[in-house]
Amino acid sequence: MKVVTGVVGNDIHVVANRLIDLSLQARGYEVFNLGVNTHLEEFFDAAVETGAEVLMISSLNGEAEGWGREVKLLKAKYKNLDDLIMMIGGNLVVGSGNTEDIVARYKKYGFDLVCHQVDLNTGLDLLQDLLEERCKS
Amino acid sequence: MVSDSKEKLLIDVGSTYFKVSTAATIEQHLRDFNKDILDDLRSKCGEIISRFEKDDVHICSSANGGLSTLIIGVTNSFSLKYATNIAFNSGINIIDTILYQDIEVYSLPSDLIDVVIIVGGVDTHAELFSEGLYNYLAQLNYSNLVFAGSAQDAAQIEENLENVVVLPNIVDDRLHIVEEHLKDYLTNLYQQDIEGKEDIKHLYDITANQIFSTPYIVNRALPMIAARFSVANPFILLDIGGATTDIHYSKDLVDDNIVTENEYDRLVFKRLGVYKSKQSLILAAQDNEFVYELLMHLKVTENIFEEQSEKATKILMQLAIFLVLCKISHYKKTYINLKLLAINSIVLTGGITKVLTVEEIEMIIAFFYKKILTSDHNPVTILDSNYDIWTLGAMGNQSCQ
Repeated sequence: MKVVTGVVGNDIHVVANRLIDLSLQARGYEVFNLGVNTHLEEFFDAAVETGAEVLMISSLNGEAEGWGREVKLLKAKYKNLDDLIMMIGGNLVVGSGNTEDIVARYKKYGFDLVCHQVDLNTGLDLLQDLLEERCKS
Repeated sequence: MVSDSKEKLLIDVGSTYFKVSTAATIEQHLRDFNKDILDDLRSKCGEIISRFEKDDVHICSSANGGLSTLIIGVTNSFSLKYATNIAFNSGINIIDTILYQDIEVYSLPSDLIDVVIIVGGVDTHAELFSEGLYNYLAQLNYSNLVFAGSAQDAAQIEENLENVVVLPNIVDDRLHIVEEHLKDYLTNLYQQDIEGKEDIKHLYDITANQIFSTPYIVNRALPMIAARFSVANPFILLDIGGATTDIHYSKDLVDDNIVTENEYDRLVFKRLGVYKSKQSLILAAQDNEFVYELLMHLKVTENIFEEQSEKATKILMQLAIFLVLCKISHYKKTYINLKLLAINSIVLTGGITKVLTVEEIEMIIAFFYKKILTSDHNPVTILDSNYDIWTLGAMGNQSCQ
């Protein structure tokens, strides 16, 4: 299973990015890590080039809020990404907010799995569950 | 092999002039287009040529103006971007780039394309291309076809496309660029194109060495440029000639995420010259909204384009400087956007150095910075009027052979 990951926008939280990379590899995923400061278009382009099944975006400083709004519009321009699983995690807003509201908002943006302030392993377990669910259906 | 101390004869065949350099002299002659290049060379420099053995004669040429390419790739951020970078730096002119998923909506270029490049995918991904590609290529007029995409797709591509050359992927398994194989292929193709020209072939009567492209030779000189000039880094070098304008620049002037081993890149603008490409230069000028203001600044009118005079050539040279700077700035960006406010020197070489003075060039550069970049930045202008850069590159090159 191939996963494209990276930190979206003007965000240089490289340690979290590295931890995600290592954790995904430890769970047997083939990881394409775009690193920090990654534009949204690069994520989708990387999914096309690699044939990845999962796009895992991380954001630690609330940067995702702005970029998230563009997800649906941009993804619609790609002809073969309908089955791509979209996951986002980290600290997804500036300041504080109600988690339920935040998750709902990001799902509306087009994400299948939203992990706001959820620890990494829990998030990866949720991904595993989603993949198994998709497999069954 | 290290070079010996024997004197060398260096010859550069341009579209308008040829230059002949020995340790003691450097000569420049306007080409006689009614004659074969070799006959022309022999009639004007026969005595010099006869003094040298074939092993000691080194020739480069830009007379053909480079090759054209069409690139088909699967994404703008990776395969297309990497192939474009490699093609430009191999001295190839890019006619168009095609995003494969939308290939049906692209129109077919009417001109013969020298080389079509197909790229896309990492080696662990497969089946990126299908009928759409083959249908498009069936209607296209091209001379060479090269595939440098996913290794898993190579067999299918070979099966469906005749005479396709398959190279190692330009995208590695970390989505980084691998430029060597495609760059070598394109550079060799450019080389073969030069050598394949009937006129150039005859030059092997007087040299036993490979004939190189002039942009390649000039690019080689850049790391050594401080040996001949007081150039403050970072700098750009403009080689403005009769058929083409080449720009050479150091990588630190580009904001991009492509990491390669080469310190300097080059771009060749095929249709930007003051003699053979005069008409396309004029068209490019007429398309630029600032050019009329520039002509006023130079105290001439648009009628100068119709004139055949020394003054008209000077104006065209000045326009060429302005247009090429526009092409590498945020305004009218062609491929790259160089950090022009960071450069400390602009070095000029080629035919332009025989036509314009430093003052006439500085006037244009100041106009460009003021109007396009709204800045009073004033990089130092250096004129390579004795073709030292080309000599440096040619000498450097023959010492490597």
